[in-house]
Amino acid sequence: MFEAFSLPFFQRGLAEILLLAIPCGLIGSWVVLRGLAFHSHAVGTATFPGLVLADGLGFAAALGAFGAAALFTLLTVAIARSRRTGADSVTALALAACLAGGVILASDVFNSGANVDTLLFGSLLAIGSGDLWLAAVVAGLAVVASFFVGQHWLARGFDEGASRALRSDSALFDAALLTVVAATVVATLSAVGALLVSTLIVVPAATARLFTARLSTLLTAATLLVAAEGVFGLWLSVQTNAPPGATIAVTSGAAFALALGARTISRRGMWRAAAVAAALLALAGFGAGCGSQSSGGDGPKVVATTTQVGDFVAEIGGDQVDLSTILKPNTDPHEYEPRPSDVQAVADADIIFRSGGHLDDWTEDLIKDSGSDAEVVDLSTHLPVRLFGEEEHDHEGEAHEDEGHEAGGEEFDPHWWQDPVNVRFAAARIESTLSDANPAASAYYQGRLRRFDNQIRNLTRQTKSCVRRVPAGDRKIVTDHDAFAYFTNRFGIETVGTVIPALTTEAQPSAGDLADLEATIRRENVKAIFPEESVSPALSEALAKDTGATTEYSLYGDTLGPAGSDGETWLGSMKSNVNAVVAGMSGGKVTCFGGQDG
Amino acid sequence: MAEPAIAAAHMSLGYAGRAVLRGLEFQVPTGSRVGILGPNGGGKTTLFRALTGEIEPLSGHLEVNATTATVAQTDRSRLDYPVSALDVATMGSLARLPWWKRPGRAERRRAREALAEVGLAELADSTFGDLSGGQRQRVLIARALTADAELLLMDEPFTGLDTTNEQRLEELIDSLAVKGRTVMIATHEVEQAERWDLVLCLNGEQISFGDPAVAISKPVLEATYGGHIVEIPGQPELGVLPAHHHHHDEGHEGAGQ
Ligand SMILES: Nc1ncnc2c1ncn2[C@@H]1O[C@H](COP(=O)(O)OP(=O)(O)OP(=O)(O)O)[C@@H](O)[C@H]1O
Ligand SMILES: [Mg+2]
Repeated sequence: MFEAFSLPFFQRGLAEILLLAIPCGLIGSWVVLRGLAFHSHAVGTATFPGLVLADGLGFAAALGAFGAAALFTLLTVAIARSRRTGADSVTALALAACLAGGVILASDVFNSGANVDTLLFGSLLAIGSGDLWLAAVVAGLAVVASFFVGQHWLARGFDEGASRALRSDSALFDAALLTVVAATVVATLSAVGALLVSTLIVVPAATARLFTARLSTLLTAATLLVAAEGVFGLWLSVQTNAPPGATIAVTSGAAFALALGARTISRRGMWRAAAVAAALLALAGFGAGCGSQSSGGDGPKVVATTTQVGDFVAEIGGDQVDLSTILKPNTDPHEYEPRPSDVQAVADADIIFRSGGHLDDWTEDLIKDSGSDAEVVDLSTHLPVRLFGEEEHDHEGEAHEDEGHEAGGEEFDPHWWQDPVNVRFAAARIESTLSDANPAASAYYQGRLRRFDNQIRNLTRQTKSCVRRVPAGDRKIVTDHDAFAYFTNRFGIETVGTVIPALTTEAQPSAGDLADLEATIRRENVKAIFPEESVSPALSEALAKDTGATTEYSLYGDTLGPAGSDGETWLGSMKSNVNAVVAGMSGGKVTCFGGQDG
Repeated sequence: MAEPAIAAAHMSLGYAGRAVLRGLEFQVPTGSRVGILGPNGGGKTTLFRALTGEIEPLSGHLEVNATTATVAQTDRSRLDYPVSALDVATMGSLARLPWWKRPGRAERRRAREALAEVGLAELADSTFGDLSGGQRQRVLIARALTADAELLLMDEPFTGLDTTNEQRLEELIDSLAVKGRTVMIATHEVEQAERWDLVLCLNGEQISFGDPAVAISKPVLEATYGGHIVEIPGQPELGVLPAHHHHHDEGHEGAGQ
């Protein structure tokens, strides 16, 4: 039950939460006493543009986050002072502005990938030594500031009118408080992420406030509560295999409800107890989380990062491989958050197969943090066809074959498996890696590779003849995001535009982008727009409505489908995609693989 | 004669360049009790803000030769704070300590003495929010005593007090003055002001200042309150009828803070 706690990455998570308990408990108490709860939440969200900027320009994330937090604080204080607007409405306005700024920076300036994401959704399972240092420094800062300035924070909060006579009204004291709040928020980011900082800063302190009548007890109780809730949340995360950010949020919320309930019962009699207990049970019912499950086969322990790579390994390894696949079907890889079982699987792995590129660049942290010494195979590095997306997206889907350079502002397009030729190479590489690791099963792996290779060649041949049946002028499509360049490149189809003009689903199109795209769809007489299974179809449908194109056919893009669907395997997903594309381009007249897929 | 605790000359006060109180011209000797009379919005709280240095005079001259502490109007302090009466009284010592220094043992002892001085020795360890209104008022006075303030500014301290507590507070004010502290009390009770050493009548401007026997007269009260002053039969004091709205243009709605 507690064995997970002996693993190095859990111990780092524990150390991080225990260190964070100090600033979160102390500063959280001041946040609650000084009515800064909304402010601190807003500061957390306001770090977003700072994170994007740091990622784009390549400086430390914590620095970017703190810069944004400090700027946000200065801005709100200055505006609230100069106009007599309520501080809360100014905060809300500035918050919206920061979010908008972050989205614009992420989508239009930097085309940021998943990096920003892992920062926006931090995780206690991915704590590095830099995070620990930051937490320790901020803990020290919080202690020192509380010790030397706390008496003024208290006097001013207690009675603002008298604070001048007590010399507690200096703007420097308030500035010190807001600075430490910003630093605490930034230190908390890596543990629970920007959107959940309140669960560590505000909620435990608010809980402690319910049953403390002295400042010193409040500070102590809040600190102990953060530590207890954090450790329990981490443990719960291991037990339920849910992300620790979520279990900590639930734990601290439940503790608050419990404290409130206890107070209510002692004041109003027992009938409310039932309601509170019911609410708690409902909360506890949360967390039937699922993460990677081992296939339980013999042979080397293998981790695959994406659903496609998992499928390739399963095709070659069969029951002679103990496979765990981290991403789940229909989960957008850009929005991945590690679960305890993932870290565990990576820690135990002999071999890790990566898809490569920005789709699974979180793998690096996961491997580093889990202390894994597995052999890491990045399948994207040795491929016959490597495409690069333009930094400036001109909607031409212009992809050219790799000449071995990644310079010139071009980003590697990681969706290589959409080209069957690449998959044949990847499969061969998987086979040789497995055979090296487990020579006894080498003949078995080779047999399965031959079979898989034949299937891929058949698929390619059939697809080519199928596409040829669509009139050449109609071989044009519009897709959700730039995920199909390899596919269209291989089969001579033109992507005249993408709804999301980037390689990542994180980006968002502007109104101008959409208007241009509509014009293109009309001019080129495009018959179908293809939404992806794992991306919200709203934008595509809106476009289709305006232009008369159909969105009837959807594609498997970044992930395979769930068990039982057409797209459960890579082969199935390709057949389904080919059917969809051909039907869409020909207005439903041409179909391939008819007998097999509906 | 020793220099006065407060000296104001040709002084006008206001906010954002707009004067709300003009023609202030008075001197308060150390150790005197000064009643400040005035209608709602008359400028009592504004004067206190100038005396603590929170606002600067718009024109004229103000000299305050005393460390100052305020006992705020009504309960501007937070009742839900996790502090004891002793904690609140101890806050007063911040006025004397260097900014980085926390109040220590000596300051706590001084705060206990101050609480004893206002008659709250046994309640020192109660939570501030659990005390009655009159007790809280006295805790705030104890805080001013801990600050060693030579000038105490009490903004309507009698509001909401019952007769017993009113009596006690008046005795406390007397004893503070005897010990050489200057006390200024904003009030709406004309009869109280008459018992103190000096009175200052305000209504957007200084109406009168001086010995209550001289400074409080029927015309002064009429100018101060802008209402009809009646002599209530059987009682020596003057009574005040409610003010007419149109009489003064300085915005009477401002019911203080
Ligand atoms: N912060 C402020 N900014 C602008 N005007 C103010 C401010 N505070 C008070 N005033 C105005 O100054 C005038 C005097 O107000 P003040 O609070 O000094 O009156 P007061 O005599 O204390 O009244 P009360 O008996 O209601 O407490 C009023 O017209 C009020 O509207
Ligand atoms: Mg007032």
